[in-house]
Amino acid sequence: MERKPLIELVGVEKTFGRVQALTNINLKLYEGEIVSLVGDNGAGKTTLTKIISGTEKADPGAKIILRGEEQKNWGAAKARKLGIETVHQNRALSEQQSIYANVFMGRELTNRFGFVKRKEQIAQTEALMRKIGYTSKVWTPNSPVLKLSGGERQGVAISRAILFDSSLVMLDEPTTAMALSEQAEVIEFIHDLKKQGRSVIFISHNPWDAHAVADRFVILDRGRLVFDGPKGNMKADEFINMLRDIAREGTI
Amino acid sequence: MMSVFIYFAPSVFLNIGMFTAVFLSLPLYMIMGLALVFVTVSGEIDLSFPSILALTGLIFSLTLKATDFNFWLAFLASLITGGACGLFNGFLVTKLGFSSLITTLGVNFMFAGITQVLNQGQVRQFPEFDESPIRAAVVGRWGPIPAQLLWGLAIALILGLIFNRHRFGIHVHIAGDNPEAGRAMGVNVSRVKVYCFVLVGICCSITSTISILINSTYYSTMGEGYLLPVLAAVFVGGTPVTGGKGTIAGLVIGATTVVFINTGVIAVGLDGYFTGLGFGLVIILSLLGHRALSGRLSR
Repeated sequence: MERKPLIELVGVEKTFGRVQALTNINLKLYEGEIVSLVGDNGAGKTTLTKIISGTEKADPGAKIILRGEEQKNWGAAKARKLGIETVHQNRALSEQQSIYANVFMGRELTNRFGFVKRKEQIAQTEALMRKIGYTSKVWTPNSPVLKLSGGERQGVAISRAILFDSSLVMLDEPTTAMALSEQAEVIEFIHDLKKQGRSVIFISHNPWDAHAVADRFVILDRGRLVFDGPKGNMKADEFINMLRDIAREGTI
Repeated sequence: MMSVFIYFAPSVFLNIGMFTAVFLSLPLYMIMGLALVFVTVSGEIDLSFPSILALTGLIFSLTLKATDFNFWLAFLASLITGGACGLFNGFLVTKLGFSSLITTLGVNFMFAGITQVLNQGQVRQFPEFDESPIRAAVVGRWGPIPAQLLWGLAIALILGLIFNRHRFGIHVHIAGDNPEAGRAMGVNVSRVKVYCFVLVGICCSITSTISILINSTYYSTMGEGYLLPVLAAVFVGGTPVTGGKGTIAGLVIGATTVVFINTGVIAVGLDGYFTGLGFGLVIILSLLGHRALSGRLSR
């Protein structure tokens, strides 16, 4: 069976003023695969996810092809509508608002006149909180995000990414500021996403995590895609050595 | 505060006439304040509404004259003017990225200037309104209750629903709380802010029209004296300047407080200069109150 890419990036470049953040990125992502996107600080990982999620615009000339169709006017609202959800590095939460308002941010359930179906949103949020194992009994969907801990906030951001029927979930450093047990849960959660047939792009500073979850590695170095290949039988040490070599080579 | 007033001038404050006097002007402050809550919660501020008020009033008056007294056309022209003024503010703030505080301060001077130039110092009177059914419907009396109070409350109810329950209102909160998060999740933050400025413009049209109907007169300084009381009503009502949070019910209470001070100071027999003192005290006291309240809630 020939696999069709879910999303394909062709010639993606991004410059911020005089800084070239991404240079000619070509990338295909297939359904139901977990890609670990790795690279040093400033390699362009976050910029790349932001372009895929529509938060940043790529420089003119780039192509984003989703399920075989080239996308025009790519933007955050459109990306989400077409099934791309992102857990941003900064969480992207509105702190003074309630948990449920954050979960449905930008995709509120409304009636025909645009009025929000509050009860339904609260009920769904409650079910979701239980599903992802919110152990704290103190919080209700109505609690403001302001009062949650770092891990709990990440929980809200992750819930938001799985609530809607997404086909691609991108997680940008989801485990930072998390307790070890919480980190393990996130890794578990990523495997679940795959079982549900979704694709995942996972960004982590932790090479062991990146190695553990991946089907495929994509390595960025100073804005260039320097490695794109399946994990196969590659061991964690081999993977880490490869990362080191790439980082060293780049310094020449 | 009420009890202070009642203590010093019971005959005045327990008199229904006093309340009628308050209810006459309350809706004007309230409608403006409602729009200001939206702008403030969206993380911006609008200081240009006094001159938009004067400008929309002028356009209303001019159209009225030009169309041989067609109220609806005049009102429509006023609404379009108000909306356009709001779009202008919104454009400067969101597209050019100017600070709304400074932008709208400048725009306030600009529109006031335009109004003065166009109006050429005239006071425009409309005795034709005295007997018109429209005047009766908008600013007539139902017993001791002036009709504009009911209109004002109806607008408060509608805007309150939008503020708390409509997608737009939710996005206003997000725009003022964490615009970056909103953008990342597909909320068009700039558009939301522009709409808030447009809402101010529209509320200016409504307020100026009501004000003209009350007095059957247009004068180009009609916006003066609104700026600080309306802002006071917003802040006394419990909407912080920092954005992301606010209350419509609070605004209604805040506006009532402010108008009561305005009317009450005079009624007690104090010099009008005492009004400022009253505003100041109430604003500071309300800050204390909000702190006590929020402290209790977060514990």
